[in-house]
Amino acid sequence: MEHTSLVGMTVDAVAFDVERGKVREFAIATRAGDPAHVEPAAAAARGGSDLLATATDVVVAGHHRDQQVFVAKLGMDIRRIVVGSTSSEYLRPLHVGDSVTGERTVIGDEVRTTASGSPMRLLTLETAYTDLHGNVLVIQREVLIERGTR
Amino acid sequence: MTARTPAPAPRRVGPITQTDIVRFAGAGGDFNPLHHDQARARAAGFEAPIAMGQFTAGLLAAWLTDWCGVENPRIFEVRFTAPLRIDDVVDLSGRVTGIDGRTIALDFAATTTTGTTVVTGRATVGPTATDP
Repeated sequence: MEHTSLVGMTVDAVAFDVERGKVREFAIATRAGDPAHVEPAAAAARGGSDLLATATDVVVAGHHRDQQVFVAKLGMDIRRIVVGSTSSEYLRPLHVGDSVTGERTVIGDEVRTTASGSPMRLLTLETAYTDLHGNVLVIQREVLIERGTR
Repeated sequence: MTARTPAPAPRRVGPITQTDIVRFAGAGGDFNPLHHDQARARAAGFEAPIAMGQFTAGLLAAWLTDWCGVENPRIFEVRFTAPLRIDDVVDLSGRVTGIDGRTIALDFAATTTTGTTVVTGRATVGPTATDP
């Protein structure tokens, strides 16, 4: 199977602010019970400048990306893609008021053959979410798996 | 990292509803119809919409950070091993695999009450290098 690696390609870039209402949405959606996500006094007691975001907050990038567009850009078929794994490396917690940018790049692109002889493409994407001062807050990696057509 | 229980207590979540999935979709912006559209889920080979992996990862991250504090995860890695379905009840649990100074390593999983492991993962928690 002919395969041109996309390693090094920029997939997309997002910019968003960490917002109180969104932190609350994620806290409820993920059952996070820590009052520092919803009560300013609880966050202040932990040294937070404002509410502490949940560990899931950068998932909000989904609102700023176009799934159809980036899948097409990667030359993949959305009907055959699953997310195999994700990892997050946390360098400092996000607070309400942080302005965050994140450029997503391809850091791995390989085709493997499954035990049944079917080709499978594994694409690894990395986003370093950075504040306005250039400090990296979270590095997220995701492995997309595209099943073969046979 | 002092005076803590040796591992976070297990947490049970569910039965998972379509509303749970839609609530997470709204928070994060994942509008893949596989997660909310019955007809599209069926066309993809599922009886009903399934949860997005990030939902279960988010449940696990919240379970972990409610224990260790959201300032303290350093690494959080998950692997998606099976779909989480509507009506599933899922148990989040883990164990400490190592302690190195102020850093704790854990393995964890999300497993349905019918015995299907939907996510496995590992984390390290502890202060950053610059923390006092």
